[in-house]
Amino acid sequence: MRRVIFVRSMWMGAILLGVSFVAFMLMRALPGDFVLAAAGAQMLQPDVLDAMRRDLGLNRPLIEQYISWLGAALQGDFGTSFVTRQPVLQELWPRFLVTLELTFIAAIIALIMGVGTGIASARLRGAADWIVRLYNGFILAVPNFVVGTLIVLLVGLYFPELAVLGYVPFRENPIGNVIGLILPALALALAISVTISENTRAAVLEVSNQDFVMVARAKGLRPRTILWNYLMRNALTPIITVTGLQVATLLGGSILVETIFAIPGMGQYLFDSITSRDYPVIQAIVLVAAACVVLVNTLADIAYAHADARVEA
Amino acid sequence: MTADGPILSVRDLTARIVTRKQTVEAVKGITFDIKRGEAVGFIGESGCGKSVTARAIMRLAPEGMRVDLGGSVNFCGQDLLAVSETDMRNIRGRRIAMVFQDPMTSLNPVITVGAQIEDMLRRHTGLSGPAARERAIELLDQVGIPFPARRIDDYPHQFSGGMRQRALIAIAISCDPDLLIADEPTTALDVTVQAQILRLLLRLREERGMSLMLITHDFGVVAGMVERVNVMYGGRIVETAGIDEIFRAPSHEYTRALLDAVPRLHREGAEP
Amino acid sequence: MSDAATTNERPLADTTSSAARRIWPSAGQWLLGLGLVMLAALVLLTLLAPLIAPYDPSATSPNSLEGSSAQHWLGTDAIGRDVLSRILVGGRTTLFVTFTAVAFALLAGLVLGLVSGYVGGWVDEAIMRVLDVVFAFPVFLLAIAVVAALGPTVPNLILTIAIVYTPAMSRVVRAPVLSVKKWDHVEAARSIGMSELRIVIRHVLPMVVSPIVVATSLTLAQTIFTVTALSFLGLGPPPPDPNWGGMLADARQFMELAPLTVVGPAVAIVFATLTFIILANGLREVLDVGSSR
Repeated sequence: MRRVIFVRSMWMGAILLGVSFVAFMLMRALPGDFVLAAAGAQMLQPDVLDAMRRDLGLNRPLIEQYISWLGAALQGDFGTSFVTRQPVLQELWPRFLVTLELTFIAAIIALIMGVGTGIASARLRGAADWIVRLYNGFILAVPNFVVGTLIVLLVGLYFPELAVLGYVPFRENPIGNVIGLILPALALALAISVTISENTRAAVLEVSNQDFVMVARAKGLRPRTILWNYLMRNALTPIITVTGLQVATLLGGSILVETIFAIPGMGQYLFDSITSRDYPVIQAIVLVAAACVVLVNTLADIAYAHADARVEA
Repeated sequence: MTADGPILSVRDLTARIVTRKQTVEAVKGITFDIKRGEAVGFIGESGCGKSVTARAIMRLAPEGMRVDLGGSVNFCGQDLLAVSETDMRNIRGRRIAMVFQDPMTSLNPVITVGAQIEDMLRRHTGLSGPAARERAIELLDQVGIPFPARRIDDYPHQFSGGMRQRALIAIAISCDPDLLIADEPTTALDVTVQAQILRLLLRLREERGMSLMLITHDFGVVAGMVERVNVMYGGRIVETAGIDEIFRAPSHEYTRALLDAVPRLHREGAEP
Repeated sequence: MSDAATTNERPLADTTSSAARRIWPSAGQWLLGLGLVMLAALVLLTLLAPLIAPYDPSATSPNSLEGSSAQHWLGTDAIGRDVLSRILVGGRTTLFVTFTAVAFALLAGLVLGLVSGYVGGWVDEAIMRVLDVVFAFPVFLLAIAVVAALGPTVPNLILTIAIVYTPAMSRVVRAPVLSVKKWDHVEAARSIGMSELRIVIRHVLPMVVSPIVVATSLTLAQTIFTVTALSFLGLGPPPPDPNWGGMLADARQFMELAPLTVVGPAVAIVFATLTFIILANGLREVLDVGSSR
């Protein structure tokens, strides 16, 4: 078991290295562009640009640049934003927290919806099963940004008094903060809930066919007891780990949803940085996002291996 | 139910398994009785319908499978095929209990063995909390599990195959059922452990006056365990007799074939 | 005295349902049929778009933000362009990028998966590790990063999407290859001297076809999402070409005044995605590819 954790962690580190390298290289692929972006809107003389190049270390071999950037990044120094001239970390951190909150709420909504429909589909069968599957198939076809835009449209048309755009900081108004995030989280959650639903259904069906469930029924236990203590306690592990694997999709989707609902999160920040060519920020966000995804994936993998080991024994 | 009438009276039981592609008549009309305190063996090869019969009595169709039952199953005055599912749930475990074939997969891997006995006790008797735990420890002791007070908090994967089967038997007898159905209880166990488990079942039966329906494909298993034997083939009972008569003078050729299949240490008479 | 038991013979009711089922198409066939019809409609409409579009999609007019009317079935957008025409023509670029990108991903996936799975050993390890790095990236983030760095042109879009979906395709191909490799008659074929290439073609490829067909259909659905999402963010095909994602983004400003400017492209996107999802499900049922039933 410990060996599995070690191997996975090593692997995680390797992937992160690879990811950060790719991200770095992409940004520096056009060095001319880089320094021009750093210069911002100013038109600078060539020798001033050269000086900047030297300052930014753009004359050194790419590998050196990468290593020094990585070294600094691991200590939390992601450089300075070209746009605001502030440390990137300072700009990024609050936005990261916002996205974290949004993603977390979306995951909860997706779990409730997905597990609920999955159980209904697996246990009730017949009509319920078909309805859930049709519903799932349809939801899957509507991308999260389309859902988000439609939600904003519907609210705007039929509930104009509701402020659906924007963000209320937690410190100001905790309840308002959470309520304001529900609709955007819902837009994010819908697509994920379908995957969770399908996995729940499959997991519950598979566990239902196990011998110990038959034994539980032969014991005359109540259906609710069987559902929770026998079915779900065995099915939840694969479900949770699969949900963990959806984090990647959630992070990707947050860019779109944050833009639509005007939420100042990391996703929107990424988009703004791309538009303004704020490369240090782009690099930092890509690294952080990839790190989150890889971390959660690795944890999910380990959890899965742990659950498997117990059952195999 | 009269004092010496049968507790289980099965008349013309049929079981039809319906799938989208086909319909199979697994049990084609069988009739038998089991008296109070009596042990009856059901012998046949795989597919003869003996397990389906047991599950039909308990009304336990495998998940998602449709099984149509016909005939009547009279248990202590009630036709089990006619009662509601809610009533059936009260009967399962409490009045009729079942032990299954594979102890390695019959226990819930994520909760302790003790918890699996206690949820049974909580369901059918008034016991809960410390009282249920005490009773569970007692039961583990009765089925011959050493250091029961310690092992009660173990998980199934910490038990050996034989011990798991003992635990499952403990679960089955925990609420003092009138009838215990054992479906191939020793088939998945080592030969040495098999004998132990059978002896355990015998002892428990004698102590509690419980009726036993012992299902197996092996004549060696029923010898010394039951008073009567029903031989099944192709969904029907082809022969029924007392245990001694069956061994001495089997009348149906299928029974003879089954008996011949049992390895013996010495033969009486010439080779066939 | 032992008795051979007598039983009452019950006549078996004859089940006629299975015979009837054979004439009536199964659920999977319904889905497949529906998917194919939708696909045909999609392809036809976009191919013929320049001919059947009532207006030039870039033609502006003073009738801005109008609702549905006889002249403009889906109304007009903020600068008076006909929504319907823009949807029809926009579909061309979207679908062109989608199909091309997935075709490349399929090709790359086939080659890599076959080589990796069949050759095995360190080659397999090496290929899979590299692909894992790509796979570890959130698909969308990677697409954004690449397009942002290289610029939002159609070829870049196609390249990015192809790269992003190649790992998944390779995995789908590799799995059946790995299991076929172990088959007895592959061993037998090899022992009678059949060339490796022939073995691959005759034994391995057929097993790969079913899962890869389903995977391709699913990837097409996902790609439509990626392409439209990228264009929603302004990273799609550049301005003169209308595209669904871009239309949706542009419409946001005045959407309460002219809901059709949002609903139009939304329905188009959903329809296209739905086509491939239905197709994938139908194929999965009909080809009987590891269903979860």
